[in-house]
Amino acid sequence: MAGPSTLWETLQALLPHTKEELKLELGEKVEGSVLMLLQEAAELFLGGQWRECLQTCEVLLDYSWEKLNTGPWQDVDKDWRRVYAFGCLLKAVCLCEPPGDATSVAAALKACDMGLLMGAAILGDILLKVAAILQKHLLSGKRPAPGPSQEPPGTKKARNDHVPIPDVTTERTVPRLHCPSLQYFKKHFLVPGRPVILEGVANHWPCMKKWSLEYIQEVAGCRTVPVEVGSRYTDEEWSQTLMTVNEFISKYIREEPKDIGYLAQHQLFDQIPELKQDISIPDYCCLGDGEEEEITINAWFGPQGTVSPLHQDPQQNFLAQVMGRKYIRLYSPQESEALYPHDTHLLHNTSQVDVENPDLEKFPRFAEAPFLSCVLSPGEVLFIPVKHWHYVRALDLSFSVSFWWS
Amino acid sequence: MDEERRGTWFGFGFCGFGQALGSGLGRQVHSPEPLRTPGGSLGVCRVSASWSYTAFVTRGGRVQLSGAAGGTADGCTDAWASEELLVLLRAGPGAGAELQAWAPGSAMRGDPLWSQAVQEAEHGPSRDETQAGLLPLLPCARAYVSPRPPFYRPLAPTLRARRLELGAEHALLLDAAGQVFSWGAGRHGQLGHGTLEAEPEPRLLEALQGLRMAEVAAGGWHSVCLSETGDIYIWGWNESGQLALPTKSLAEDGKTTAGEASGLEEDGSEVKRGSAGEDGAPAPFIAVQPFPALLDLSPGSEAVKVSCGSRHTAVLTRTGELYTWGWGKYGQLGHKDTTTLDRPCRVEYFVDKQLQVRTVSCGPWNTYVYAVEKEKS
Repeated sequence: MAGPSTLWETLQALLPHTKEELKLELGEKVEGSVLMLLQEAAELFLGGQWRECLQTCEVLLDYSWEKLNTGPWQDVDKDWRRVYAFGCLLKAVCLCEPPGDATSVAAALKACDMGLLMGAAILGDILLKVAAILQKHLLSGKRPAPGPSQEPPGTKKARNDHVPIPDVTTERTVPRLHCPSLQYFKKHFLVPGRPVILEGVANHWPCMKKWSLEYIQEVAGCRTVPVEVGSRYTDEEWSQTLMTVNEFISKYIREEPKDIGYLAQHQLFDQIPELKQDISIPDYCCLGDGEEEEITINAWFGPQGTVSPLHQDPQQNFLAQVMGRKYIRLYSPQESEALYPHDTHLLHNTSQVDVENPDLEKFPRFAEAPFLSCVLSPGEVLFIPVKHWHYVRALDLSFSVSFWWS
Repeated sequence: MDEERRGTWFGFGFCGFGQALGSGLGRQVHSPEPLRTPGGSLGVCRVSASWSYTAFVTRGGRVQLSGAAGGTADGCTDAWASEELLVLLRAGPGAGAELQAWAPGSAMRGDPLWSQAVQEAEHGPSRDETQAGLLPLLPCARAYVSPRPPFYRPLAPTLRARRLELGAEHALLLDAAGQVFSWGAGRHGQLGHGTLEAEPEPRLLEALQGLRMAEVAAGGWHSVCLSETGDIYIWGWNESGQLALPTKSLAEDGKTTAGEASGLEEDGSEVKRGSAGEDGAPAPFIAVQPFPALLDLSPGSEAVKVSCGSRHTAVLTRTGELYTWGWGKYGQLGHKDTTTLDRPCRVEYFVDKQLQVRTVSCGPWNTYVYAVEKEKS
């Protein structure tokens, strides 16, 4: 039975023991005052002064957090994210100081997750290793219970809302192909930019059989993830927040949710590498110019009723459906004017039109814009060409995995 | 005038780099303490605090640094401290003045990173003992200094700038007519034009048109201005309650005081407009306030000075009371604890000691205050 002292020893063994190793290579953007603090934190840590180290870490975290919130995210200097990750790392380990009760270890895991979400990789991806150790420790002390609601596994409250399932027979549907050759796909769909549903490509991925609410809670339950709250991201009441996967499932999937919560557009498979083993990268991605490491893999996990408003993305997309079904509508980039994109910089890639309830007085041309639609079911992969407008609504509890590639 | 009553400078909040802030014990001071600088606070007429160090300017023209950066320099009329640069305004070789930008670590020895001759102000504001200098606005009001290149930034001459304040990614300008302009990034609503869009050039705050403003202050991602009649207008990011509007993060900790705890929804939807619900229900949480909201400190009070830290706000009333709110983790609110507040609270220390606060100047995570003894009536 793993005890707290073993956890502590494992963590200590994992972390560097010398000042030279517990150091970040940072550029000029990070001011001397911060370098002083980083050094102080490392010295306190190596000197076994856990409380004092935690205090210094808090200062480092608060200061780098401010940097992370200055300017657009993509312009934030990576060094600030490294500083943030460093603070999270030392904080996480210090929190596990014996006796290291479950609350402290959960807090430590949260610190790791914050470092993984907002920080950048340091010291050979050490945060991933620490997170894995902490998660294992937390799970070994618990029965595999679903979470705060204390429901026995397997009894999901059935949601039998009378959700309108669009009558896709009256709409032009996305063509379906069974395992086309690379060349055929390239010639007829990738190059001309035409959507297609690929069958037989993902249906044997382990996730198709393995994934369920119970499995997800086992593998990721205590991990902190970003959740979008609100009907859709164009709404005023929309917001983003952080919570554990257990809390998300309990609050937005099992109980009678007051709001829609969506674990959307999150690189869950970078955060929890174990899940990555249940999926594969579609072979067709090799037709692109980029490297495999550059492919962005996002998880989309949420209850029935989540909506992604009509929008376009700057990369090619394979959307693999794992759990539940999604209604998806696609408009060609040629129809962009009839889709009335927002004129703000923030939302210029998003249409103003509510696809399934359009205001035709305000957006008259929308009615005539041609589109393709489909209901995407588990095992199927939808190819969404670059810049192709798409609208997505979950018809059931749903889990999709998207692959953005170029 | 106030010349007869010599006051004292006090400080509270973060001092993790040993910058002079009262006793400076540990990293934080949670309640106001008199400044301990060499020579005490005698003659200090301006305090400009950056995150890791503070610059004190004395009436005699000496600049003294304290904290991660040290050193002294003479012949200075103004100083402005930031992590990237220390900016000094020094009496120049000739009739004019010289603007100098120093690396904070240089202790003002050797050569500045760059320098430029600048015009003196023709008719500067009256410099009483607590009147802050104008930096980062230059005396001629035709340009301002930025901590990031380009360091020297001209202002359109039509903008008759009176005060200029810089946030983490935005700028606020108060002109001679009492109008407020803003520009820079707007993702947290800090520009006050009702959107989250950036503005490349100074844009007039239309929501305040018709009201003459007397003061402006910029925090990291929020903005405040005071009207000539003592009203407070505030906008921008409210993630730590720095707008004195209910913030979700406090509610989740069970600590919001701006709304009835029992009436708030547990998950708390965040809306962008701040107002009480039509049915009288407690106001929902506000993450971002993209246009100015009027803030009531207490009935009948008139706000006369304002200063902002990165995530907290401090306002001074005509009667010499200091109110603070927002992020309090390092004691920068001065309420003897580290509570973050989303409503204005009076700093009782000065009331208890019968002191009238005359000036407030916030660093990112701390607060400096100049106070005098109350007149015996």
